[in-house]
Amino acid sequence: MKTKVVLNFSPDAVNQPVTNNLISKYHLLVNILRAEIDEIGGKMVLELSGKADDIRKGIDYLKANGVGVRPIKEGVRRDDDVCIHCGLCVSICPTKALTFDPKTMKVLFSEEKCVACSVCIDACPPRAMEILI
Amino acid sequence: MTAKEFKEFVKANGVKKAAKEVDVVTTGTFGAMCSSGAYFNFGHSDPPIKMQRVWLDSIPAYTGIAAVDAYLGATELDETNNMLHGGAHVIEDLVRGKAVRLKATSYGTDCYPRKEIDTYVSLKTVNQAVLLNVRNCYQNYAAGTNSSSRTLYTYMGKLLPEFGNATYSSAGEISPLLNDPYYRTIGVGTRIFLGGAQGFVIWEGTQFNPGVPRTAEGVPKRPAGSLAVIGDLKQMSSDFVRGLTFTRYGTSLGLGIGIAIPILDEDMARNCAVTNDKIVTAVFDYSQQSRSRDVLKEVTYAQLMSGEIELKGKHVPTSSLSSMYKARQISEMLKNQVLRGDFMIERPVQNFSMDRVFKGLEIRSEKEAM
Repeated sequence: MKTKVVLNFSPDAVNQPVTNNLISKYHLLVNILRAEIDEIGGKMVLELSGKADDIRKGIDYLKANGVGVRPIKEGVRRDDDVCIHCGLCVSICPTKALTFDPKTMKVLFSEEKCVACSVCIDACPPRAMEILI
Repeated sequence: MTAKEFKEFVKANGVKKAAKEVDVVTTGTFGAMCSSGAYFNFGHSDPPIKMQRVWLDSIPAYTGIAAVDAYLGATELDETNNMLHGGAHVIEDLVRGKAVRLKATSYGTDCYPRKEIDTYVSLKTVNQAVLLNVRNCYQNYAAGTNSSSRTLYTYMGKLLPEFGNATYSSAGEISPLLNDPYYRTIGVGTRIFLGGAQGFVIWEGTQFNPGVPRTAEGVPKRPAGSLAVIGDLKQMSSDFVRGLTFTRYGTSLGLGIGIAIPILDEDMARNCAVTNDKIVTAVFDYSQQSRSRDVLKEVTYAQLMSGEIELKGKHVPTSSLSSMYKARQISEMLKNQVLRGDFMIERPVQNFSMDRVFKGLEIRSEKEAM
């Protein structure tokens, strides 16, 4: 299974190699979607892939080591009432999560393909894209 | 029929039959149209004020005209340069039926003693609210890309480094002025679909430049004609009037325009049969900070709309600032209005001059300017 989580690091938790441990001890595939960490702590958004049991154990390990863990269902959300389907986002999306439907010329948004890199957020003229962290 | 339907009809039946059988072709476009704004008459307060400075939701409006008239520009920002909420957003809020805060100050006169006012207005309370745009509906537009090593934030959107993407801004084959390349049916007085209401062309748009290079079919290969337009803001819809933000550039108005083109003869039918593979534009490198950038490459709208063009050996993803979805929607709505008899088509009161040229601005002396 796959899940996206937001990690909150306190200053104490910053020095631990948590990502490495998730990979080596809990056999998880870790995709770092965002990371903003310095000596006083920070945030990281991870996509974890692996067995459900391993993901649960990995999250327990993080919590036991002072890392705040909050699951997120989706990183980026589109407000369909605001989108004007110009498609300015289409050419800048690195994972092709935003594409044109060639029939209707509407812009389609695939939450599955989105890695929450957020490049579309400030590129959207009517500000229809929102990042939820 | 719509422009899209007409092109298919010509493909299947030829220009002769199309000219005979089709009366009107409806076109549409929806995009960022910066040279837009709205004027208002707020009505007189008691005691009255001769407004000298005016703000609508903190956005300054121009009021160097009569006492309670003011013009709010789409690209105007507040004193903090907040680009998320400029003049265009206030216009959208008003169209949505919202009330906005009106503040005004003055020096006071014997006939207008009041020196300040702070109140709320909406489209219900004002006497006139009129969209008056001096340059809209460009006939063709350039495509933009970026060869430099940093992201550029431009009116062509976010341009990623090292030719990371390319953007364009035209509805291509269904865009109004690309279907009437020599302005035979579109001129002063032409009724148009404007922001969901009916408006009019009032003049050539500023920077009107019909003399640019054209294709063998007569379609301009660069930004050429443009329109100055007017319409009643009170009748418009937020589906077609939107405040837009271009990060680190500013605000603009997303506006929908549609024009119904009468098929006068075979020439007109031939013009309206133009397809994306026959409409050419130039790609410019926006990292070149000059008024006259070099043309990187000429491409067709068919290539741009395929989602990728080739630049310097690289496959560059493309996308548009203007909404094809909304452009098509407008051409459909306009078709239905024409069919119902709700949208009258008349000959222009006056055609545009083909002699206009587009001049630059030089640093010159008073004598040189005369």
